Amino acid sequence: MGIENLKTILKNERNDISFEIKTPIISASGTYGYNTEFADFIDLNCFGAISTKGITLEKRPGNSGDRIFEVQNGMINRIGLENVGIDNFIKEKLPVLREKNIDFLLNIAGSTMEDYEKLATIANDNGIKALEVNVSCPNVKSGCLEFGLNPTSLFELVKKIRRSYNGFLIVKLSPNTSDIKPLATAVQSAGADCISAINTLRGLGVKIDFAGNKFIKKSVQGGLSGTCIKPVALFMVNQIKQVVDIPIIAMGGISKLSDLFEFIAVGADAFQIGTMNFIDPGICTNLALELSKFMDENGFKNFDELKGAIRNDQ
Amino acid sequence: MKKQFIGKINLIEKVSIDAYKMEIFSELEEAYPGQFISILCPTQTLRRPFSIAGFDKEKQLTTIIFKLKGDGTNYLKDLKIGDEINFLAPLGNTFEIENKNCLLVGAGIGIAPMLFLKKELDKKNIKNYLVSGFKSDDEVISGSDENVVGGSVLDNLEQIIKDKKIEIVYSCGPQIVLKKISEICLSCDIESQIAMEKVMACSIGVCRGCVIRLAKENEVVYASVCKDGPVFKGSEIVWE
Repeated sequence: MGIENLKTILKNERNDISFEIKTPIISASGTYGYNTEFADFIDLNCFGAISTKGITLEKRPGNSGDRIFEVQNGMINRIGLENVGIDNFIKEKLPVLREKNIDFLLNIAGSTMEDYEKLATIANDNGIKALEVNVSCPNVKSGCLEFGLNPTSLFELVKKIRRSYNGFLIVKLSPNTSDIKPLATAVQSAGADCISAINTLRGLGVKIDFAGNKFIKKSVQGGLSGTCIKPVALFMVNQIKQVVDIPIIAMGGISKLSDLFEFIAVGADAFQIGTMNFIDPGICTNLALELSKFMDENGFKNFDELKGAIRNDQ
Repeated sequence: MKKQFIGKINLIEKVSIDAYKMEIFSELEEAYPGQFISILCPTQTLRRPFSIAGFDKEKQLTTIIFKLKGDGTNYLKDLKIGDEINFLAPLGNTFEIENKNCLLVGAGIGIAPMLFLKKELDKKNIKNYLVSGFKSDDEVISGSDENVVGGSVLDNLEQIIKDKKIEIVYSCGPQIVLKKISEICLSCDIESQIAMEKVMACSIGVCRGCVIRLAKENEVVYASVCKDGPVFKGSEIVWE
């Protein structure tokens, strides 16, 4: 049995541009490496796409100290965008992606608008088909407020990137806001082709040990992910869908087939899987096979038909 | 090649007041001292890494020894013979075995990879001596040439190094002990290979969650314990 029924075309009618992937299941940035790190565990032929580890202009060493904290049904990370930098990515990682024919989104992050523009230009010059912009980074010029939390600065940022990049432009939204609708609207009006959501939630993990009559505190502040954030992600995707007509790639706590259906119901056109890759390194392909089988057995010819059925049946 | 395995518990037994030995029957084909496996402990988000304490290719058995620390290890201790267990293996790098006079130091549960290493060294007829340290008698896990109970495994280390003309030290245990061991080795001008431990998320080198700092060519770099390690040269580790 093939998985041809999972072929997914993310299309932005406004810009008349699309991005085609073998399955709607994409591995989320930071959980899958740069290219073939998971090849031991998955069948690359049943794989949608990889969103690369977040790439910055210069290489970054990441944060010192503890970077991971486990919580109930989730985890907190503060990796600090450790990455090889765009030059090394283009030189060392990109050729492998191309040679192995792996579809990918280049995930980028910057600390100034100029960083993002330069990264977008490099992506454009190298013929990279899809770009996912992480806007949950501190904007150095605006007192380190995140780019992605203010509709005006977000609009300006996406507009600049759009001017430098002709491929399929995806903006990854942060959930750390009181209202995500104006942010989604800003992204669409600035010319993005697609929204991915949600990035991690701000969280603080605290552990208190009592030893030798003393309390010992350990804490890690960072981004919360895992199945515990799914209701937040569903809420946010639902909100975004109400104000945009460009495709939405949904993520946040996806771990099983029924999660895919739930996200489709609120507006998802494709999915990303993050933390769950650590629990089951085969999940991106296993879930694709399971979805394909479900569609076969229940008479859904293609993914669009399934989406339509779920949304109309509500 | 590293893979995801569904193994079966072949043996689980208490080996000290708070430690257990577990043998897992699986299709794992190779494993070397220093490497670890990463076990799924349902209801916990993250897999738990365990040093391999023994591997029998013929009988297809992988051994781990674990100390009760929290929810993950409590799940493991309650498993019964015949129960299935999901793990990734073989992970990480290995101790580099050299034909030298070897001292193996296991501090507490750090004895686990040392037992595997000792067996391999014995097979190769490489001279070795394993010293393990435990807080109290009821914590002792057997298998060493010498146990230090109550005191510190570090106390007689320099003497042992001199007396036995030790040329290389292999060790695993709490960071504070490992740091001292690497310092002693530097002062004695001998090599040390240290197996490090860190909370891990992916356990295969992609998330960069379990990094430590290494001093390489006048530059401090981050290395992941799960993929670049867990074994590092003691002289390269930048201790916290």
